[in-house]
Amino acid sequence: MSGLFTPEAVAELRHELRTPLNLIIGYGEMLLEDATDDERRSALERTLSAGRDLLGLINAAVPPSRGEITAPEFEALRASLREPHARILAATSELLTEEHADGDAEFDRDVRRVRSAAERLMTVELPQGGGASRLAFTVEHPTLEHTSEHGAAPVANILVVDDQEDNRAVLDRRLRRQGHTVECASGGHAALARLRAAPFDLVLLDVLMPDLDGLAVLERLKADPATRDIPVIMISALDDVASVVRCIERGAEDHLPKPFDPVLLRARIGACLEKKRLRDVELEYLREVERVIQAAKAVEAGTYASGDLAEVSHRGDELGRLARVFDAMADHVRAREARLKDQVEALRREIATVTAAAQPDGPREAPTLPSGAVLADRYEIHEEIGSGGMGMVYRALDRQLNEQVAIKTLRAETLADPGVLERFKSEIRLARHISSKHVVRTHDIGEHRGVYYLTMEYVEGITVRSLLDTRGKLGVAPTLAIASQLAQSLAAAHEQGVIHRDIKPQNLLLDATGVLKVMDFGVARLQGHQTHLTEVGTLVGTPSYMAPEQLLSENFDERADLFSMGVVLFECLTGRLPFEGTTIVSIIAHLMRDEAPAPSSLNRDVPADVSALVLRLLSKDPGARPASAAEVVRLLSGLG
Amino acid sequence: MPRILLVEDNEMNRDMLSRRLVRKGFEVALAVDGHEGVAMAAAGGFDLILMDMSLPEIDGWEATRLVREAEAGAGTHVPIIALTAHAMSGDREKAMAAGCDDYDTKPVELDRLLGKIQALLVSPA
Repeated sequence: MSGLFTPEAVAELRHELRTPLNLIIGYGEMLLEDATDDERRSALERTLSAGRDLLGLINAAVPPSRGEITAPEFEALRASLREPHARILAATSELLTEEHADGDAEFDRDVRRVRSAAERLMTVELPQGGGASRLAFTVEHPTLEHTSEHGAAPVANILVVDDQEDNRAVLDRRLRRQGHTVECASGGHAALARLRAAPFDLVLLDVLMPDLDGLAVLERLKADPATRDIPVIMISALDDVASVVRCIERGAEDHLPKPFDPVLLRARIGACLEKKRLRDVELEYLREVERVIQAAKAVEAGTYASGDLAEVSHRGDELGRLARVFDAMADHVRAREARLKDQVEALRREIATVTAAAQPDGPREAPTLPSGAVLADRYEIHEEIGSGGMGMVYRALDRQLNEQVAIKTLRAETLADPGVLERFKSEIRLARHISSKHVVRTHDIGEHRGVYYLTMEYVEGITVRSLLDTRGKLGVAPTLAIASQLAQSLAAAHEQGVIHRDIKPQNLLLDATGVLKVMDFGVARLQGHQTHLTEVGTLVGTPSYMAPEQLLSENFDERADLFSMGVVLFECLTGRLPFEGTTIVSIIAHLMRDEAPAPSSLNRDVPADVSALVLRLLSKDPGARPASAAEVVRLLSGLG
Repeated sequence: MPRILLVEDNEMNRDMLSRRLVRKGFEVALAVDGHEGVAMAAAGGFDLILMDMSLPEIDGWEATRLVREAEAGAGTHVPIIALTAHAMSGDREKAMAAGCDDYDTKPVELDRLLGKIQALLVSPA
């Protein structure tokens, strides 16, 4: 950066330096002409002497014959000016502090002009940039006065606190030239009042002040949460290390000695402001993250009002986008929850109309376990509550935990093969990992006198089978309530790698409040072994709800459950099965070959989008169905 | 009492130099920029003009040329001393070429300046 400066720039530099000298010498001589007492004359002579020394230094560094100066030469010149400059400040201080009973206002004013001219002299800068930019400099910035402004330093609102008027004036002018807005305070108390009244980005604080000194002001600033984060640069003629340490220890960002070097001042202020800007950005970001977190909690608590994140969502960055997405999502969730609530309410009303008349499902068999029997010294059988393809279901009391459980017995012949039993056990263990309020929890598998049984969560309610048997078909809203809960249940199970394999109305339990729970996760594995088409002779029950690929082979995935779900929903909406037949073979033939009719063609109340979703679930090709239960959850949330 | 027109944009320079000249027995009129200087010079009544060269709008050289142009029509000639803080070699020649009668640099050495003023007042160029 030892660039050369052009003759034009040097001319302006000389002008900038000589103009204040002209004032120092001119006012100094004039004051000396008037001065009568010796003390004044002495101080003025010292002022003039220092002024002439300054002129000598400047003339030596940039003589009239020279059209160039390098940055190091200029820095050397500036450094050499400090000593005579300090002499002027010292001499003029004497002139201002001496006692004048006559209150010589004009004298004081002229002395101050000498001082401020001396300060100005020390603020003269070289134009920024070296030779490479001199063309742009000479064209666009014809004077030094303007060149010192450019550069992309941050612009701030700065409070200058100094008891000396000249110091204030110099800093004020200097900082304004750099584009800052500046306010001045002449003492500590005034400074604190200003800081309470308006926000500032930076404080330049003199250390030595008569009313309340800079260190005291600093301590008060740092003690107040409202002003704690405003950076403070201390300015003091006390340039010793102890003084600097005192300032930094009390929380000042920086310390600058007086008379200050304007380049240093500019650089330190720039660094200070940049640091503050980064801290402000960080604090604001954290505040907004906190708002998003609070909003998330509010949504959970059901107290979120859309628009709570308005302040954050105007941001252009990722956080703003997150807030906007979140806001939209929260709206969506609320609307969906309201819809679901209505749907479940409709379902609850349907349930209420039939519970009184509900009958146990399926054909009656002789109970395998008599009432009062105790299994494994733990489960006390109370009553038979149903029977299915695999065995009977009982309500029992778990004596150990003193709670009601359901116990399902398994036909002995289904477990004859030890390999099947092991596979079944592992499937049950897996199913226990499913975490969903829409799954009937399976507790354990046990054996009692050669009878294998499962213990499960006891749910007081009715099955969708009972509901359909009584009502014929359900409305659209109750069907959607069943659909969304069933889809959530399947999504939770599939996530654990568990395929139900036997989704049908008999396995869907509804409690009195309309909450749906799916039974027998993992149980169908036992049947599955026997139910595909090649062993049709041993099919248990009806294949009406099974996916085509499930009937044909063991190689199917969780999308088979989606097909079954489609059949259940079809039946709920229309009161009949999509593939009907009088024999198992004819049912299977329809199921394999024919397309299901649109539910909306059988029930005009069914909206087109609901009808279309059911048909998608009933696609023969698993690839044409929604990709997953989670996808069905999503699709359902857009319906109704 | 000789009347001097001081054309100077810097307030403190104006204040300082005008006060010092008044103390030396001159009557001083003030102009704050080139336009005002040219207009006041045209109005007449001055024995000498002190013209700062670094003026806003139109600079001292241009203002001097305009004063000389106006005088050429009227057949008058008020001496002009150029003042500059540039203190560049060649400034003097440039000032003379613009129509100045003399030249001085800032910081002003009052005695030297007074000498030049007296010389021009006694024997107008």
